[in-house]
Amino acid sequence: MDKNELFKTAALAKLKLDDEEADKLAAEVSAMLDNFSAMMEADVEGLEPTTQTLQKENRTRSDSTGSSNLSNQLLDRVPEREDRFIVIPNVM
Amino acid sequence: MKYQSFVGLEIHIQLITETKVFCSCPNNFGDEPNTNVCPVCMGYPGALPSLNEEAVFKALKVSRALNCHINEKAVFERKNYFYPDMPKNYQISQFEFPFGINGYFDLELDDGSVKRIRIHDVHLEEDAGKMIHDAYQSRLDYNRAGTPLLEIVTEPDLLDGREAELFVQQFRQLVRYLEVTDGNMEEGSLRCDANTSINLPGKGLGTKTEVKNLNSSRFVNKALTYEIKRHAKVLDKGDTIVQETRLWDEGSSTTRSMRSKEDSHDYRYFPEPDLPPFRPDAALMARVEEAMIELPNDRKKRYEAELKLTSDQAVFITAEKNTADWFEAVLAAGADASQTAAWLSGDIQKILNKEGKSIEQSPFTPERIKELFDLINSNRISNNIGKDVLQAIFDEDRDPSAIVKEKGLEQVSDTGAVEKVVEEVLAAHRAVVDAIRAGEDKQIGFLMGQLMKATGGKVNPQLAREMIVNKIKRSE
Repeated sequence: MDKNELFKTAALAKLKLDDEEADKLAAEVSAMLDNFSAMMEADVEGLEPTTQTLQKENRTRSDSTGSSNLSNQLLDRVPEREDRFIVIPNVM
Repeated sequence: MKYQSFVGLEIHIQLITETKVFCSCPNNFGDEPNTNVCPVCMGYPGALPSLNEEAVFKALKVSRALNCHINEKAVFERKNYFYPDMPKNYQISQFEFPFGINGYFDLELDDGSVKRIRIHDVHLEEDAGKMIHDAYQSRLDYNRAGTPLLEIVTEPDLLDGREAELFVQQFRQLVRYLEVTDGNMEEGSLRCDANTSINLPGKGLGTKTEVKNLNSSRFVNKALTYEIKRHAKVLDKGDTIVQETRLWDEGSSTTRSMRSKEDSHDYRYFPEPDLPPFRPDAALMARVEEAMIELPNDRKKRYEAELKLTSDQAVFITAEKNTADWFEAVLAAGADASQTAAWLSGDIQKILNKEGKSIEQSPFTPERIKELFDLINSNRISNNIGKDVLQAIFDEDRDPSAIVKEKGLEQVSDTGAVEKVVEEVLAAHRAVVDAIRAGEDKQIGFLMGQLMKATGGKVNPQLAREMIVNKIKRSE
């Protein structure tokens, strides 16, 4: 993989890479992409894309609220809070 | 302008449902922060989404009302982006197979002509959470994360800011009629992004920019008008437009560049493995068909053509579905269309505005209004007294006949009784009577005024007027 493309991909994932890491990863990511390319070569002419194998029928849920509320337990697991807000470093 | 301009809109509406679109948390984001959250909408590993059938129904309703082709198979996809407004690091949306595609909306322009605007697609997705930023920190509230959002994308068929403004207004009216959203732009339940480009005529679309942060239809117009002029200036100088997202700033009435966003392919859409594709079946589509109502523009045309309302009255009455439904209920009770329209757009609206109530929450039931008209039309009360009775219906929440009876408002139509009062008034104003006799007919109005004052407005005005004229002439 081209290093510029790698840096762009890393930026989209909000990852910081230094040059050394980039060199190492470029080779690894290239190997992964080669594997995908090999899959891309398979002949799928006339096959409908499969995204689900188990569920063939529509599965929906009625529009009514659940009985349990886990919000307090979820908030207890948050690293930093202010009242009920979750607090993180400024991302703006 | 020597350029041709093109405008397309992306409109998001928050759907009215009890619960979020992929989990059973309440769809109620005004609550205390992070109360309506669960492992699904907080993105916990292993938690599985499940599709809200009411959100599907409403998505199909809008697709159908916008004349879309309904995809045989609707597929949900993951739109990947890393920003803390979505705890999963992706938004479940639709990309390749949305619910509705290739529709249209017939837009009524200022000159009354109709322009067909093509709809690219209607897709269902989840809203993001809310963030509040200060200098050092961002505070997150995920009550809104995962609430159902419907996005409607038009083709770039709109000409300019004014057409886009009209589209937003008429589209808003449509989705409010369909009762899928409250459509409140200021509160964000209807949000609009606008794309625009310009080019020399015949050259097709130019390089587009997108404007965000448009929370009223007027801002949509202003921002696009500004943006189209800005594009023209850039091209006139021989420069090129940079494709980017810009933010409308109402304070300065300008747009400014926003940090650049991901390109569509950067989102790396792929089918959501946790949700099977959804195939709308015949039974569901029959329900959608049944839910189709007369659309606002059709209703307006019918009121003008069949009920002979003035254009202003028809526009006013059909602006909100509840007003038009109420109007039809009064007609169903047996009232006359013109009389109902005149009172509704006049005195009834005046009282509702003053009191800040909507018609269906007011004491003005269709039956009471019909009864009020009967009292007026049978000359039991005058039109003017009718207005007082209307106010009393609102204030006292009672039937008009009871009010008229209790307050003794029924007008006097008994000839003997009217004659007695007329004679008293004539005797008290000899000079005026002489003037009328001398040809000053205008003064009859003065005598009528005196008569009404003496009787508290309860005399049948037609009868009294005839009597005054006859008496003066007879004694000539």
